[in-house]
Amino acid sequence: MSSTAGLAAHTVTPAVSTVVVSGIWKRFGTTDVVRDLSFEVQRGELLGFLGPNGAGKTTTMRMILDIIRPDRGSISVFGGLPGVEHQQRVGYLPEDRGLYRDVPILDTLTYFGALRGMSTSASRNRARQLLEEVGLGDAMTKKGAELSRGMHQKAQLIATIMNEPDLLIVDEPFQGLDPVNAELLKGVLIAQRDRGAAVVMSTHDMGDAQTLCDRILLINAGQRVLFGTVPEVRQAFSDGAVEVVGRDVPTDPGLLRSVSDVSEHDGSVRFLLRDGATASDLFRELAATSADVERFSVDSPDLGEIFIRAVDGDPRTASVA
Amino acid sequence: MSPRSSFLRLVGIVARRDYVRTVKRRGFIVGTLVLPLGLVALFGLSAVLAPSSSSGLTAGDSQIVIVNDSAIDMAPAAAAPVIQLVVRHAADEALENGSIDEFYVIPATWPASAEVHRVEESGSFSLDAAQRHEIQDGILAAALRTGLLSGTGISADTLVRINTPASVTTVTVSGSEVSDAAMAASVLLPFGFTLLFVMSIFITSGYLLQSVTEEKENRVVEILLSSVPSLPLMAGKILGLGAAGLTQVAIWIGASVLFIPIIGGQVGGLGDLNLSPMVLLLGFVYFVLGYLAYGAIFTAIGALAPGNREAQQYSGFFGFVAVIPIIFSSVFLTDIDSPLVWALVLVPLTAPASMLMVLTIAPDLPVGMIVSSLLSLTLFVAVATIASARVFRATLLLYGVRPSLRKIVDAMLARDQVARN
Repeated sequence: MSSTAGLAAHTVTPAVSTVVVSGIWKRFGTTDVVRDLSFEVQRGELLGFLGPNGAGKTTTMRMILDIIRPDRGSISVFGGLPGVEHQQRVGYLPEDRGLYRDVPILDTLTYFGALRGMSTSASRNRARQLLEEVGLGDAMTKKGAELSRGMHQKAQLIATIMNEPDLLIVDEPFQGLDPVNAELLKGVLIAQRDRGAAVVMSTHDMGDAQTLCDRILLINAGQRVLFGTVPEVRQAFSDGAVEVVGRDVPTDPGLLRSVSDVSEHDGSVRFLLRDGATASDLFRELAATSADVERFSVDSPDLGEIFIRAVDGDPRTASVA
Repeated sequence: MSPRSSFLRLVGIVARRDYVRTVKRRGFIVGTLVLPLGLVALFGLSAVLAPSSSSGLTAGDSQIVIVNDSAIDMAPAAAAPVIQLVVRHAADEALENGSIDEFYVIPATWPASAEVHRVEESGSFSLDAAQRHEIQDGILAAALRTGLLSGTGISADTLVRINTPASVTTVTVSGSEVSDAAMAASVLLPFGFTLLFVMSIFITSGYLLQSVTEEKENRVVEILLSSVPSLPLMAGKILGLGAAGLTQVAIWIGASVLFIPIIGGQVGGLGDLNLSPMVLLLGFVYFVLGYLAYGAIFTAIGALAPGNREAQQYSGFFGFVAVIPIIFSSVFLTDIDSPLVWALVLVPLTAPASMLMVLTIAPDLPVGMIVSSLLSLTLFVAVATIASARVFRATLLLYGVRPSLRKIVDAMLARDQVARN
């Protein structure tokens, strides 16, 4: 089982779309929960599915899984309509999840595996193997009601990957987990992604989204707001500022041609670049001075900040929507 | 794998799993064994009681002590071995030393007055004494008649016939005798079988309700629905839990077939009841249709109800509907062709119990009634199953929410069709 280390080096496999969502709408009562939503998820990609509560994330995931159907638009999974023939290649971890309280987890997982197309013996062996891997080897015969919350979460994630799915949809997978178990389960998801599965992960944790996801899709009120790689999205919301930490860093804008404004804050100097100037231009100019630079970073907002700005209607969303 | 074989495979997995899980439950095992164990206990009890009930508490076992203060000569009557004619102080003495429990005093005013006294130590009531008094009263009446008529020249044989004018027995046109117990059984057994039948349908449908609400409460249902479309999931449950119910009923019927004739042979007459193969076959058909009808309703209730408690409350109403035929069982016994009986066999939810009662009571199979009720029930099962499947998939994922009536109706009419399959 891999860990989250080395995630940044991952490159998405050349575009082979596992899921293609085209202009779907879904109305419950008088409310359009999903409105003209389009995106695709590629093989070997971990897509972060973000949005405020009630944005339509769970409804969209249920439509991909064919639990409910869109009123308009189309969804393609593995090149065809979602349906029973594809369900054996899919793994799903819903937000509202549980286990049979009075059934040993090994039996529960065997049943879930059989429903996903595995033979009973293969399903049982696979469940045993995965339970051992996540440290639940001694708890195989425990009933659902006897498991701790962390054990529940692990068992539920195992249920999701029992059949080595080609499409994995997980809704808030790390909610309520301690850091050790969260790290363990992140490793499980990354391993699935690295072996070629398309992973759709809904999360409210922007830190997880930033570090784990290859691309993010942010929706609000059922509509797509942002869609792109994490660097693309952060770049789009960057105001071009550069933050420098060091000694003898010049603070007079007149000394640096690429800079239009300078401000100091908590021991760092923040340079706002002129139009057309790049961070590389500033780096070369600083190198020519006596400044002893300890840290040089392009100041782009983190995903948490972008989330809030995008939901508030920041016009920069248009460039990555 | 083709969609059809995939559908059947999923139905099979769900059905097998729900069947095995249900029959392994302690509640199922206890519930299944209650009836056979009860019959075994009844068998044992009847075996123990058989010798005493065959001899009974007869006049031969009872001594009646009479003090005669009247002018009528009771000596001829006292020739019977069960009667002791004594004087008052001897009777008082016997009562006091406990050798008798009571004695009778025929006062001087008799026969002008019908009043006769039974003298007891304390006058306290017991079932044993009440039973003994009933027999003694009969002996006393016969003794008094004998005393009155003995001086009139009537022969002893005539005296016996006066005291026992007739002994009525029922016979069939072929001349075979029908016991009182068999006649009682012909009334009680249809009632008992119908009650058992309704219970079986309800218990089996109850498994379905329990399974759906449990998976909803445990939050397992969304994982299931991502693996299995709603229709094979529902079909698998109906099949697996129906099979569990049938297993239970089969064990009950097996125990009944084995023990009721034995018990009947001991208490007399019960063993004469005969359920023909056609009645048994039709009973099975009505059981399956009844289970499907209530199962469809209970599946929808399980999907709609926010929790198990609410689901039980909603389903309770249908329990009342199902036993309506039993409430009107006297009408079935007195006029099996009445409009009320026809109405009950045509209304789908009362048809299974009504038809079982009709089948076990009617002397001949009422073909018109059977065909009409089967058509009505089958049509209802088809419509209810489709509506239930729609409600099931539209509302199963609403956790802790009570859907509006409008939403339920929309789901039933497929106005809010949300899922394929």
